[in-house]
Amino acid sequence: MISFKHVTLPNGLDVIAEVNPQAQSTALGFMVKTGARDEAPEVAGVSHFLEHMMFKGTARRSAADVNREFDAMGASNNAFTSNEVTCYWAHVLPEFMPQALDLLADMMRPALRTEDFDMEKKVILEEIALYLDRPTHVLFEAIMGDYFAGHTLGQSVLGSRESIAALAQPQMRKYFDSHYGPGNMVLAVAGKVDFDQLADLVQAAAASWQHLDIRRDYTVPQPQPRRRHIVDGKLKRHYMAVMCPGPSAQDKHRHASHVLADVIGDHEGSRLYWALVEPGLADEADFSFYPLDRTGSFFAYASCDPARRDQVEDVLLAEIKKVIQNGVTEAEVVRSKTKIETAGVLHGELPLGRMRSICARWTYNHEYRPLEAELAELEAVSGANIQEVLREYPCSPVTITTLGPE
Amino acid sequence: MGATQRKTETTGHPVTAQHQHIHRLANGLTLLTEKMPNVRSASMSFMIPAGAALDPATALGSANVLSDWILRGAGARNSRELSDYLDGLGVQRGAGAETIFIRFGASMLGRNLAAVLPVYADIVQRPQLPETGFGPARDLAMQQLDAIEDEPAQKLSILLKSQHFPDPLGRPTVGLREHLQALTADQLRADFQTRFTPQGAILTVAGDCDFAQVTDLVEKHFGGWHNTPRHPTAEKPAPRGALHITQQTNQVQIGLAMDSVPESEAQSILVKMAVGVLSGGMGARLFSEIREKQGLCYSVHAGYQSSKEQAAILGYAGTGPDRAQRTLDSFMVEIQRLSKGVTSEELERARIGMKSRTIMQGESPAARAGALAHDFYHYGRPRTLDELRSCIESVKLADVNAYLAANPFGPITLVTIGPNALTLPA
Repeated sequence: MISFKHVTLPNGLDVIAEVNPQAQSTALGFMVKTGARDEAPEVAGVSHFLEHMMFKGTARRSAADVNREFDAMGASNNAFTSNEVTCYWAHVLPEFMPQALDLLADMMRPALRTEDFDMEKKVILEEIALYLDRPTHVLFEAIMGDYFAGHTLGQSVLGSRESIAALAQPQMRKYFDSHYGPGNMVLAVAGKVDFDQLADLVQAAAASWQHLDIRRDYTVPQPQPRRRHIVDGKLKRHYMAVMCPGPSAQDKHRHASHVLADVIGDHEGSRLYWALVEPGLADEADFSFYPLDRTGSFFAYASCDPARRDQVEDVLLAEIKKVIQNGVTEAEVVRSKTKIETAGVLHGELPLGRMRSICARWTYNHEYRPLEAELAELEAVSGANIQEVLREYPCSPVTITTLGPE
Repeated sequence: MGATQRKTETTGHPVTAQHQHIHRLANGLTLLTEKMPNVRSASMSFMIPAGAALDPATALGSANVLSDWILRGAGARNSRELSDYLDGLGVQRGAGAETIFIRFGASMLGRNLAAVLPVYADIVQRPQLPETGFGPARDLAMQQLDAIEDEPAQKLSILLKSQHFPDPLGRPTVGLREHLQALTADQLRADFQTRFTPQGAILTVAGDCDFAQVTDLVEKHFGGWHNTPRHPTAEKPAPRGALHITQQTNQVQIGLAMDSVPESEAQSILVKMAVGVLSGGMGARLFSEIREKQGLCYSVHAGYQSSKEQAAILGYAGTGPDRAQRTLDSFMVEIQRLSKGVTSEELERARIGMKSRTIMQGESPAARAGALAHDFYHYGRPRTLDELRSCIESVKLADVNAYLAANPFGPITLVTIGPNALTLPA
């Protein structure tokens, strides 16, 4: 029997768990509500660099200790940084939960030693170089910058070679001290876990963390119609991205928006698939819903032969326009809901999938929903709901950013 | 083969049943199922030995084109009807050509299995292979060749494979542009007739499934599948040695390959443990020595890969041009140091990592469906999680170290992509 548990520590740290006694493993994660959008331009990339530094040791552990201990409990573990959140997670066998928690919680109070900072800076610069060799990533960062121009949501998560090279350890310490308050994070656990034991362990580990008053800047982005083409003579393919406003992560239309995006641009069986990929005009084409904290967008992407770029862009925009004008069919809505619901069930059978899901929902909506309730929310989406989304978000203004050899 | 019971001591969970069954059809297709408790989903892995290894020497890329074309209508359903039907059942699916196999994967709610399996029976036995679909399928394969040129890391892995393995094992499944350009629909239709055969095909289902029901379905829908065996292409030796491709990339791509023992040999578990010590986690040697202590790379790793006849350890690192030689040198130091043996602590970390990944795999129908197919291909039978675990637990430090001392890795095949060539240390 799956149950939900929640406790808030006096310093504001939320601890949530979806306990499944039948699971064979336990997934734990700290999600911190901070990312590239919370950075001042002079420290661009600090959230992600800090994420790396969190693995570099604490007052009682060296960097090597951290890595060795994760390996010694057979953990699958990693971390990621986005524009809005930074997450540290481990997936372990249930008997290792106390050790995994001790390690993850200790990591949340990092040493940030200067020698480690200098060494890791080289790794970050290599990571930036790695992504510069991936055109899809270059394009994504470019369109985010174009669409959110003038807003911190347009900042690169990795930062630039220049911003990272210029970053100093005291700036990172200051960023940490002002963003990693216990009230700005949640510890989420899913799978087989003794919640009382977990709560006692967290209480002991995190009691000394000082509460901070942290407020995210919710300046509303002002996207304008924009168009930019980036030339890179080394490329063989033409890449295009389109962004336009959509509902936020908190909006009641978010489920309908997921269904709508699936109808238009799932990688298989969608409008864009039949218009572009099936006839071989583009090797990839998709349309997705990209909800963010109190803002949101729709995002389309395609890649094709450079000679077909105008044709592919025309077809892509025409398909979107067709949906705005004529809506979608009932059969399409039913099919997309079935696809998304099945994906939810598959995802929900794995503790790591559930941990990520409850963690994100808590961070964005401060609420918990069992999988069945999530599926029911989706099932309730009707064609009329999708019409409402299309009326409220008619894909305007549009930002188009393209990248190609000529 | 009957059901086995397994007690999950490590989790303290009372008793979990792991039901595995095997059924061989008269035409040579093998069905394997594993019923998993507490899941509503079922995953299927369907592997037909029709991969790129069977591509005619003058039509490389045929399997790749076919793996797309074959989905464009089958049985009574045209391309769109087929896709809409599977989408209507919420089936998450994939298809692709590998070296040996063309593989279809599908995940769904267990209750939809009975509606989905007949569709795959149509796909492999009665594809429409419509004229209108051939051009786009071939065009997409050619676009894939260009897309690889834009992704240096992917390009490296393809080049490393063809440099290290003999043809047809090492051939790029994506094919060659000239061959794809010359390929015709009639030619590929004729190829299909002798390519898709049940002999050696493996169909696995894991998750919420019932062996008896699945067996009936498979007998009914795949029992009449005809056998037209075809012999694979003759082998040509691998180039080996070093290959450098000059390209103005931000990072130099470094790929290494060295021979190892195939999966089915008893010693392969010793090799996998050693590779775990080298690259199993963030505390493993490559990550620790090259990334953590020297800050040379973001991405550096090595893995074990095996076909039936041949296995290799493949290594990868990506780094800036000014640090590439030092990275390669450091990588080689770690490979050579392995022959001096591993410590007991290192082995225990590799062991618990492998054991815990195995147990966690037991929670995922898709992972189990893939593992059943993998085990049947390499071992001729499925292995239970219990068996996998005791195999991992039985590895002794002395055996790993004796193996490493007696079998130093090498010679090395080296492939690099970047502004300048590198030198393999002596």
